[in-house]
Amino acid sequence: MYSNLIITVIYLALMFGAGIFFSRNIKNTADYFLAGRSAPWFWIMGAVWATNIGFLHGYLAHGGAAYEWGLIQSNFEWFQGPFGYILTGIFFIAFYWRAGIYTVPQFLERRYGSGIRVVYSIAWIIIFLVTIAAELYLGGMFLKNILHIPFWPTVFVLTGVVGTYMLLGGLGAAIMMEFVQFVIMMLGTMPLLFILLKMVGGFKGITNVLINQWGVSPQYFTVLPDIHHPYGPGPWIILGQCLVVTIGWCAGHQSMVQRNLGARSLYDSKLGYVVASIPKTLGAFLYIVPMIAAPIVFSRLGIFVEKSDAAYGKLIINLLPAGMLGLFIAGLLSAGLSSIGSVLNSASTMLVKDLYERFLVKGKSDHHYFIAGRIATFGVIIASLLLVPVVLKVYLIMWLEQTLLAMVLGPFMAVLVLAIFWKRANTPGSFAGFLMGGIFAILLQQVFHVNIFFQISWWSFVVTLALTVVISLLTDPPKKEKVEGITWDSNFEAMVGEVIEDRALASAVRVTEIRQRTIKVPPWYLNLKYWATAILLVQIGLLLFFG
Amino acid sequence: MKKTPCLAALLIVLFFPRFSSAQEKFIDVRQNMADNLTGVKTEVKAGDWTAARASFDKAKTIWAQDVKPLITEGVKTDTQFQEYFNRIGEVEANMDAVAAGLDAQKADDIEAKVNAAIWGISHHPRGFDVPKPRYTAWDWVFGLGIGIGFCLFATWFGLYLRRSYYGRYPKARFVKK
Repeated sequence: MYSNLIITVIYLALMFGAGIFFSRNIKNTADYFLAGRSAPWFWIMGAVWATNIGFLHGYLAHGGAAYEWGLIQSNFEWFQGPFGYILTGIFFIAFYWRAGIYTVPQFLERRYGSGIRVVYSIAWIIIFLVTIAAELYLGGMFLKNILHIPFWPTVFVLTGVVGTYMLLGGLGAAIMMEFVQFVIMMLGTMPLLFILLKMVGGFKGITNVLINQWGVSPQYFTVLPDIHHPYGPGPWIILGQCLVVTIGWCAGHQSMVQRNLGARSLYDSKLGYVVASIPKTLGAFLYIVPMIAAPIVFSRLGIFVEKSDAAYGKLIINLLPAGMLGLFIAGLLSAGLSSIGSVLNSASTMLVKDLYERFLVKGKSDHHYFIAGRIATFGVIIASLLLVPVVLKVYLIMWLEQTLLAMVLGPFMAVLVLAIFWKRANTPGSFAGFLMGGIFAILLQQVFHVNIFFQISWWSFVVTLALTVVISLLTDPPKKEKVEGITWDSNFEAMVGEVIEDRALASAVRVTEIRQRTIKVPPWYLNLKYWATAILLVQIGLLLFFG
Repeated sequence: MKKTPCLAALLIVLFFPRFSSAQEKFIDVRQNMADNLTGVKTEVKAGDWTAARASFDKAKTIWAQDVKPLITEGVKTDTQFQEYFNRIGEVEANMDAVAAGLDAQKADDIEAKVNAAIWGISHHPRGFDVPKPRYTAWDWVFGLGIGIGFCLFATWFGLYLRRSYYGRYPKARFVKK
């Protein structure tokens, strides 16, 4: 136990020190919020994945949901995740770059006006508070189980460490630490899969025990179950999750987008996002597949599991030897801290950029907003801690978070798609559509008790889309400056120019003449199309095998 | 003066968690029971039957005084307790079997029964009880409609994007240098 505790304390101290170290480079808001736009594609890849995967999305809550409902949970890794990463990477991210923004709400304001920016920002800040509370709760519970230290002091220590390195270091610290954490996570958590599979006799052993001996439903082992499934009906996964929430999450989640906006070029940003879908796919083998085998191990060894969200922690405490467990704790802490840190950074960015600077205190110095960012970070920490007891009551944290996301991302995807592809979409249409779509989603869950978040996201998307179109047609078209440069049929010359300026590829490009223009073409191993095609083929293979 | 609001906020947060302690009680008492039952296994392996008996008695007391009442009361207001309520008989049968094993000092059966008792008070996946897959004619129509519709839409939209892009910017003709 002490060796694990020592490794954990050393790791937390290193994180703490890193924040102080990176804080030396922070001079203005661009450094603090966008890491000075200097990150290469492989940092973006690591940071995007580490942001995505934490206690909540990944090991503890995601793994917990896999324990609860089975292999269906892997559709986030094998189906929707990479689909959303690739589509956002090769498509949506370019529009954000062209708009020259810090936050997603800024993009919405540029296209539609300030009303939707406020509503969207507030909705996301609420989600971020719940997310941080959930991460803190999961982390505290995990460390309580593993190191036998009380829950609340653990939560405060976690908060203190992550708060310090985010408060001091901003996005630069977050991205650099996330890349390190990405490596630690991969190396630290992979051995569990092999240990487990050896224990239960491989995949065949798992299905043999659960289906043949215990009589468990075969739907526990499918990625796309039938339409009657109480948690994730297959067709609704495609409609609500794959087409709406996943893309909306990748294109609309401030933490994910912010990492890409911190890239040194548009091409780095795109490539980082697309390639991040590889560790995303591998993630299922780190925290989904092990959890399918977990019930067998728990019953055989007599391991107590209080709730699904605790299952992953219980598994590793009881299976890994002491030294490896220490590395594992470091890996898992990496995941959790990076996610908390990134969400914290994004929440404070939105508070300052989208609400404080835009509407409350305008025209102050850069230093003023920089300090406001730090105060906002502190405020978010306090508010999140207050929400932890609320999160404790929920039966499955993944369900809570996904339901909240569905309520926001359904309407968001509708207005985003129309923003880019339909020039006629205007301010009143989008604002009313977004607001009514969100209210409709809340009514679906609260009044009509629709608890399948895939359905909530799909129907709120449809309602928002329809309302936005109808109201836009009934009102005046948007002014030219609202659509110029950020819709699909705008001039894309500048985007080609981004590739020309790409320093990331400077050492490995061949100069090619395209008619009158000269651009630098990436070598084959950095070609987006090849990566995207290869990843999609792997996804199809996995779906055919497990679907 | 500036530090006062921050300090006040921290103090509120520090004292707020005390209100949530009831939420953790059901977890803590079951964990305590499981720890004592695990102790039984360890002590039986070490041949210390007296200590094993003492651990078992503690576990049984926790079950009778804390865990079972929480389940029987909780199930009246919260469906999350239903699974534990359904397994009360199973847990008690396993506990009785452990008691019998300890009385007879038969180590062989005890571990399996202790494990079963711990598994009985653990949370079981809800996915285990999902009905087997069933597909009506409507399900096929709906599922295939979405699948085929998605593929057709993706193809049409992809072609639209390609056509509209290259309509404005003629496709690159690469010239080797």
